[in-house]
Amino acid sequence: MLTISGSKGETFCDGMTRRGFLRIGGLGLGGASLPQLLQAEATTPKKLEHKAVIMVFLAGGPPHQDMWDIKTEAPSGMRGEFNPISTNVPGIQIGELFPKMAGMMDKFSVIRSMVGAGGGHDAVQCLTGRKLQGPQPSGGWPSIGAVLSKLQGQVTPGVPSFLGLSPKCGHDQWGDPGKPGFLGPSHAAFAPFRGGGKDDMILKDISIERLADRKALLKSFDNFRRDVDASGAMTGMDTFTEQAFGVLTSSRLAEAFDLSKEDPKMVERYGKGTEKLTADGPWKRLDQFLMARRLVEAGARCVTLGFSRWDWHGNNFGRARTDFPLLDQGITALVQDLHDRGLSDDVSVVVWGEFGRTPKINDKGGRDHWPKVSTALLAGGGMTHGQVIGSTTRDGGEADDRPVEFQEVFSTLYHNLGIDARRTTVEDLTGRPRFLVDSQHAPMKELVG
Amino acid sequence: MPKLPIIAAFVLFLSCASAQSSNLAFEKSLPITLKHLHDTHQLVLTQESQSPGQTPTDLTHIATYTSDPPNIITVSPSGLVTVLTAGETTLTATHGELSISKPIKVASAETTAISFTNDFVPVLSKYGCNGGGCHGKAAGQNGFKLSLFGYEPSNDYNYLVRDSRERRIFRAAPEHSLLVLKATGEIPHQGGSRLEKNSPDYQAIIRWIKQGLPNDPKEFPKATSISVYPKERLTQPNSQQQLRVTAHFSDNSTRDISHLAQYESNDEERASVTMDGRVTMGHIPGSTSIMIRFQEHVDVFRAILPLGAPVENLPQPANFVDQHIFTQLQTLGLPPSEKSDDATFLRRVTIDIAGRLPSIDETNAFLSDNEPNKRAQKIEQLLASPDHADYFAGKWAAILRNKRAKPEHARGSVAFHQWLRNAIYKNRPYQQIAREFLTASGETGTNPPVVWYRTVRDSKDQLENVAQVFLGVRMQCAQCHHHPYEKWSEDDYYGLQAFFSRITRKPGLQPGEEIVLHNRGQATSKNPRTGKTLKPKPLGGEELTIPSYEDPREHLADWMINPANPFFAKMLVNRYWKHFFGRGLVDPEDDLRVTNPATHPELLESLASDFIANGYDLKRLIRTITNSHTYQLSAIPNQHNSEDSQNYSRFYPRRLPAEILLDGINTVTGANESFAGQPAGTRAIQLPDDTFSKSSYFLSVFGRPDMNSACECERSADVNLAQALHLVNSNNIRLKLSSDQSRPANLAKQKDAQPQNLLAQLYLHALSRPPQPEELATALAYLQRKQNEPGPTSPKESDKAVPVDPILPTRQAYEDLIWALLNTKEFLFNH
Repeated sequence: MLTISGSKGETFCDGMTRRGFLRIGGLGLGGASLPQLLQAEATTPKKLEHKAVIMVFLAGGPPHQDMWDIKTEAPSGMRGEFNPISTNVPGIQIGELFPKMAGMMDKFSVIRSMVGAGGGHDAVQCLTGRKLQGPQPSGGWPSIGAVLSKLQGQVTPGVPSFLGLSPKCGHDQWGDPGKPGFLGPSHAAFAPFRGGGKDDMILKDISIERLADRKALLKSFDNFRRDVDASGAMTGMDTFTEQAFGVLTSSRLAEAFDLSKEDPKMVERYGKGTEKLTADGPWKRLDQFLMARRLVEAGARCVTLGFSRWDWHGNNFGRARTDFPLLDQGITALVQDLHDRGLSDDVSVVVWGEFGRTPKINDKGGRDHWPKVSTALLAGGGMTHGQVIGSTTRDGGEADDRPVEFQEVFSTLYHNLGIDARRTTVEDLTGRPRFLVDSQHAPMKELVG
Repeated sequence: MPKLPIIAAFVLFLSCASAQSSNLAFEKSLPITLKHLHDTHQLVLTQESQSPGQTPTDLTHIATYTSDPPNIITVSPSGLVTVLTAGETTLTATHGELSISKPIKVASAETTAISFTNDFVPVLSKYGCNGGGCHGKAAGQNGFKLSLFGYEPSNDYNYLVRDSRERRIFRAAPEHSLLVLKATGEIPHQGGSRLEKNSPDYQAIIRWIKQGLPNDPKEFPKATSISVYPKERLTQPNSQQQLRVTAHFSDNSTRDISHLAQYESNDEERASVTMDGRVTMGHIPGSTSIMIRFQEHVDVFRAILPLGAPVENLPQPANFVDQHIFTQLQTLGLPPSEKSDDATFLRRVTIDIAGRLPSIDETNAFLSDNEPNKRAQKIEQLLASPDHADYFAGKWAAILRNKRAKPEHARGSVAFHQWLRNAIYKNRPYQQIAREFLTASGETGTNPPVVWYRTVRDSKDQLENVAQVFLGVRMQCAQCHHHPYEKWSEDDYYGLQAFFSRITRKPGLQPGEEIVLHNRGQATSKNPRTGKTLKPKPLGGEELTIPSYEDPREHLADWMINPANPFFAKMLVNRYWKHFFGRGLVDPEDDLRVTNPATHPELLESLASDFIANGYDLKRLIRTITNSHTYQLSAIPNQHNSEDSQNYSRFYPRRLPAEILLDGINTVTGANESFAGQPAGTRAIQLPDDTFSKSSYFLSVFGRPDMNSACECERSADVNLAQALHLVNSNNIRLKLSSDQSRPANLAKQKDAQPQNLLAQLYLHALSRPPQPEELATALAYLQRKQNEPGPTSPKESDKAVPVDPILPTRQAYEDLIWALLNTKEFLFNH
């Protein structure tokens, strides 16, 4: 492989950002009993030693003008059925079906003017920053999770750095956990709800005792000399086999997925949603938001998840009345939780879909594909929140000011992760160094100052 | 590694040397003449070896230097001679009692006009200013742009002098120019402090500004090549070696550019190199290279670090492969491992040639065969088997991108796979296969290789793929810029593209198919940067004038398969070498270039010329490789060679490829795998195209390629957690073990058979060897314990209604035993 010197993973970022401090202590400890304190200690996670990102993909392209950018001035035939409500940030209004979000708008930022969507029904742009349309490098662009796996590796042994919670969907692209692209399968997402991965993680039809028997047998049979392999693959396999046993018996990964280990009140706050797939799109599981938080605490650097199916060519408003409140609950529970646990500086959250919807409401009461403009919601990551970035025209059809490219959001996310994406490269299959984002896309000043 | 004896020997050697007359030597060259004030000369001082087997020692940085008269030159401790004034002097280097003198003449101490291309731009390159991560990238960095790696000096002149109204230059006070203030970090620079203030390189920039920013005239001496001294050295662990680099110019002048060239080690663990060309060896025996670059010219220094252990009792070389490998092992003092035992050899060669585990009958027959020639006979059998064709057809199908993008592509992808399989099975000469492939025209059904043109549609992809697969040349970089370690330019790239410029397509006979045709006309292409129209030009050759009625691809094929082609045969033998040894003589195997030299260049030459001389006979090549002692060495290291990863002193184990692993698991468990749309009994190794890389979780998680690339590197041999989980706990493996047709079920039914025999069979199936007594004892004990345990053992089975199958415990015990065997490294790896 060709290597060009001087361009590998250079970052001149100081890598130091403010960390949130646990908010326990100081206040009201005097009133807590010892058992309560011990319980607090047991359930309070350690501060994260790493930065992470949780990416929520709204498959199908949600109606941006009915969520956080209500166009009250839009002409009839375009104006939606929902009214704006005020939020806890003076001057910012969002759609009335997001009351929980409105109550904590100071912890969110909305970009109303996402532009440059490729227009296809795929998650690629939301996972890589790159359009699937047009020329691609051999193997394809890697998603941000694969890049983190490549550049930063695992935080905790036994916990993959990149996980995808999306199920396998009828339209496969909507369940995309983020592809490894040219970085190769070893940096693929561990996606337990797709394909065989999920079943492999949970011990089934074999008792713990029998697994222990097998492990002991393997130990006595597996005497092949490890020093025959200087490449490290054999000892690597040993490590992973050991980790696999850990996953199957008790480990941080299995526990992160196991919500029975969580405070029931917390589980309730996130809600359950439904595991049923939404037609050919992802499910509406709310507990996956909680899983994402638990995985990040366990050591994941990137967790992707798909929520519902938003390709509402008909009955836009009826479906919105069902799905918006669910999204409102899941996303606010997650963001509040991150703040409560002091993780809001370490964990970035982004919520978006592949494109927006037409201003015009069609005769089935739906809105059609509209790649011209769409919306993104950001939280955490140590970013400045409580703001709206950009605006759309009167009908919500085009970005009015501050058009934002997908790669700018990626540049910002990478920045939060301690990576200067404009100066960092990964090698493609030809050995050519590829920048994580094109150099014109600086981290967004509004968010990271 | 035993370091002490070497050091002891070294000390002894030094003390002996000092007793004798001086054996010091400078680089053998004419008396040194420095031409002007800024001319320099890098000394390389060597203590020659006293006898064969001893290594010469570089003393450049250890010796002390004096000159008489002393006011003519200065010599830095690292041996760099610089000018003080004009005149003649005698330089003396002293080390202990040894000394050597050399006359040096300084012709003139006048300052000279700086050359923008030859003096200034190399400084930018040396400090990485114009690298792809900094100002050299297409958009520049923070508003300041340079040409990538300084390949376009005329553009650089404009960027520096004309852009932004000359704001980067301060003519009146050169030291206050933004250019140097940034580079030295005197004002904040995102790229950090790169250039030391007042260093010679700093002075060169200042001088250029002081001289009024001279640009090069229309005609000026251009560098034509560079050469390094020494080219190759036997070295000691942790020793140093100074390099001297000379540039040769179009006016026949030469110049020392040791301080301007860029150095890069191929392997930092084996050898590192400073910006001034001082190499420091590591301690891993073997050979390594330092690449040296100046403008678009490259050269390589090769350092060989011997281990120095006694190499005795080398077997008689089986063929020329062994001669080359053993010679190198002797030079290195690296004793090879023992010869592998029969069971290991059988498993290894069956996997590598036939892509499967040996059957139990084959194993029994081979192990009991007393014929001294049985290994060679086994190789013949395997080469003649259809399994060999299956395995290698799949290997070629992957790099020839046999993709089924749509269901209707199946006819083509199956036909192309079959075409490859037939070619391998019949052992058609490689150059014929390559020619037919490259020049394929017509319809899928009658000429299946046209399928490649369906997947690889763009003429750029076509030229890049062909160059990489058949020539081992990576052209991708040359599309936009001269690659720093390649000699290919944009014109080379587009000259190659022109061969593919007359391809046209028509709809094929069935949906999703195409007919590939030659469209008459002049084959040309355009270099988009210069706007120049280019004729077809083979790499390193002359432009061709091809009549418009001839398919230019035929001309490309003529050049490619010509025995004189410097790439074609080498690429193939290197690819096959890698297949059998896990490492290419040149590695990566498809990246042949001056700056990526072979570990055994003569062996590579011999393999290639033998291949050509014998009519590009692929099976013969495999026969040569696999019959060598080198291939048949054990993987188990001796006390000296455990760290060896490039000298073939032992076999390097590797994880089984996805398909072979899956087929192997099916064989051992007695399971049947079915692949959608494939005839019953199809094994994974026989799958024709990429579809199954996605549809089979097993194949995808173990890295079967998606056939997106002409590079074999797309196949992943990595290990990861998902693989481990799959082997340990997947439904897939569990069902293979527990189905009623599985081997455990069958073994449990054989009540009259001796368990010892059944267990021995298991070992032969999985590992191609009988169990060791202690392994057998463990397995028997497990079997008996499980048979005596009361009741069902799994929670699910406990839910089942009684009666519990009385042989269930036995069956489960066999499941566990086979499970354990499948998870051993001995099973998972080819060793």
